[in-house]
Amino acid sequence: MAEDFFVREFPNGLTFLGQRMDHVSSAALTVAVPTGACHDPVTGQGAAAVASEWCLRGAGRRDTRQLNDALDALGCQHSESVQSEHILFSAASLGRNLPAVLDIYVDILLRPRLEDSTFESCRALVAQELEGLEDEPMQKCAFLLRERFYPYPLGRSIYGTTESLRTITADIARKHLHRGLAPRGAILAVAGHVDMPKLCDQVERLLGDWPDCPTQAVETQPAQGGVVHIPKDSAQVHIAMAHAAAPMDDPRYYAARLTETVLSGGMSGRLFTEVREKRGLVYHVSTRYHSLKSHAGMFTYAATVGPKAQTTFEVILNELRRLGDGIEPDEILKSRAQLRSALVMQGESTHARSSALCQDWYHLHRLRDLAEISDHIEKVTVADVLEYLREFPPRRMTFLAIGPTSPDVAALNAQ
Amino acid sequence: MEFHRAVLDNGLTIVAESNPAAASMAVGFFVRTGSRDETADVAGVSHFLEHMVFKGTARRTPFDVNRDFDRLGAEYNAFTSEENTVYYGAVLPEYQTDLLDILGDILRPALRGEDFDMEKNVILDEIARYEDQPAYRVYEKLMGRYFDAHPLGNSVLGTPESIQALKCQDMQAYFDRRYSPGNVTVVAAGKVDFGALVAKVKSMCSGWKPYEVSRQIDPAGANPCCQAIVDVKVVREHIALMSPAPSSQDEARYAAGVLATILGDDNGSRLFYALVEPAIADEANMSHLSLDGTGAFLSFLSTDPARAAQAVRITREVFAAFLEKGPSDSELQAAKNKIASSATLKGELPMGRLVNVGFDWVYRRQYIPLAEQIELLLAVGGQEVLDLARRYDISAVTVLGLGPAEAI
Repeated sequence: MAEDFFVREFPNGLTFLGQRMDHVSSAALTVAVPTGACHDPVTGQGAAAVASEWCLRGAGRRDTRQLNDALDALGCQHSESVQSEHILFSAASLGRNLPAVLDIYVDILLRPRLEDSTFESCRALVAQELEGLEDEPMQKCAFLLRERFYPYPLGRSIYGTTESLRTITADIARKHLHRGLAPRGAILAVAGHVDMPKLCDQVERLLGDWPDCPTQAVETQPAQGGVVHIPKDSAQVHIAMAHAAAPMDDPRYYAARLTETVLSGGMSGRLFTEVREKRGLVYHVSTRYHSLKSHAGMFTYAATVGPKAQTTFEVILNELRRLGDGIEPDEILKSRAQLRSALVMQGESTHARSSALCQDWYHLHRLRDLAEISDHIEKVTVADVLEYLREFPPRRMTFLAIGPTSPDVAALNAQ
Repeated sequence: MEFHRAVLDNGLTIVAESNPAAASMAVGFFVRTGSRDETADVAGVSHFLEHMVFKGTARRTPFDVNRDFDRLGAEYNAFTSEENTVYYGAVLPEYQTDLLDILGDILRPALRGEDFDMEKNVILDEIARYEDQPAYRVYEKLMGRYFDAHPLGNSVLGTPESIQALKCQDMQAYFDRRYSPGNVTVVAAGKVDFGALVAKVKSMCSGWKPYEVSRQIDPAGANPCCQAIVDVKVVREHIALMSPAPSSQDEARYAAGVLATILGDDNGSRLFYALVEPAIADEANMSHLSLDGTGAFLSFLSTDPARAAQAVRITREVFAAFLEKGPSDSELQAAKNKIASSATLKGELPMGRLVNVGFDWVYRRQYIPLAEQIELLLAVGGQEVLDLARRYDISAVTVLGLGPAEAI
């Protein structure tokens, strides 16, 4: 089934993307504004997280409650999230209600009220979420690892720090948003049961004169990397490590995804088989691929009780490195089937599709249809993956453990 | 959408909602068993057994099971709750029969001793994992406290001690009591070929011997109290509140869903405005837990320990105010819109429909098309929601806090 794509780039830098889906009745909207955590001001880390809350505290003629009521009246499910490079606004409703939902989001983008009276509670909520990470060591592990792995500040924690949050004032956040909530590089994607040309006209009418504003490139410093143990009196030792991977716009991207799947796809992936099935060392072990615009990584995570932490670490490292020694053709066949099938199933969800449109455009500046992706997956051979592993070996890894003890990781740097 | 049903001679029921427009299909084996069907000496056996089902059969090793699923590109897993154990997979439609070949096979597991001993380590690790998640711990403790001696208070995971002590033959005995074909429903949704489905299930499951399975459905007694469990290793205060609500079989469940959404949806609900908007809590939500023969309203709060007592007081005030006046027209309409929209979005995915169609059948022996469910929901009136809140008395809550706070 060929996808029905719709693309329109406006002079002010905003791009509208659409995918018409006739077999559903819903539609989903994703707006990606390039003012994520890596754009936070030096003296205001956590600003994007606070801002994403604040934008929903009243916009245009509506206060917080009226804004929520208006979205609720349309049966709109919505959420706001912050990533390294973007603030994401996501919404989904019946397709026939989406034009009205879009009207409200135009208010949020162009006319957020950003009143002093609503600022403090937004700042306090982010501070509480940051504190809440202490009760979710798995998530904390992921945040801290990303921060050290990527060139600074690309992986910086979206929540900032307790101290940095304290320094953010309404003025700092407002100034940041006035610069950041701008059309240059922003993407508005819709997937579902909607008349796309009509919706595009609506976008042009409402956002076509959103004033352009030059964006500033993020200056980066080398990644911190290294080995860290954060002592915590927890039941498990949480182990996380990362190594470099090919970014999404790299020709070797598909080999990277096959590598990830051989290692950690389904329950027959190498890590699950060796660490959990054969040795009973953990409940959870996985490797996940993650890509920013120009950097990407393979992030491996496992958690186990203290006495098994050393063996768990050693078996994982051995599996990551052993992959380069050889891969069975059957492992590639299986991984291709898994990736293709996941793709089709994601294609059934309007929400997954609207966010995939944004990702494609941001990373590749074009949209890929199912046939193209399938074709690429199909062409990756064992030799391609082995070649990829020579170019992106699991070496120079960043390592982080949270727990009462940490494994001895000297082997990480041994050749 | 078309609904189909078939029953094998041994009592195994097959139900399916077929949607020719779907790009994939999902199948689940719904076994009506969970921690409420366990005795104290085998606490955690339902969930441990769920793991062991993936450990192979007479014709498949554990590695074969995993590999065969993955070769199909299946998305598959299983979950165990207080009253259900569900094994499921989703595939492209051409793999329907291959998927059933695996699911039908593993539902008669070998339960080999060496696999049992190995998997015990994994279960103990899973228990340790939840130990590091206070939000889950407070839920489990609240279920125990609220349901007290009733079996719904049993822990799904069991304890390290009960799992250590469990023997493979105890598990086999439990399996032989609970996995009778009459206690299993095969459910399918998405692009289903029903004829082929029945033929394959027949070939896989006709040999399963039927026997009598029962579940004790005693009335569950609420146990209103308010207690803080002090754990200084936890940073935030995690608070859970529970009170009586309609059961899965009760038609009032639609009104109960509306009530929970008005009071405790993540966005724009009364608890949201009373607690989250002013940053007294960073999380405050309420849901309706519809169970077999009983039900409960369940709310969660996450707060600064210093504001825990204030958050609980405000929550009580929110409930009391609702009991006074009930919902406004716009609140009622907004809640219904939100539920309808969420059901529609879920209903567009075969996995979403699988769970809905499956539980409609397991709990009520009933198939209700999504459009009809939405109509029933939209018919709920404000007075009905208020009457329900009063009848079940939403203010009679059992409250537990877990974290540094000495009192809530």
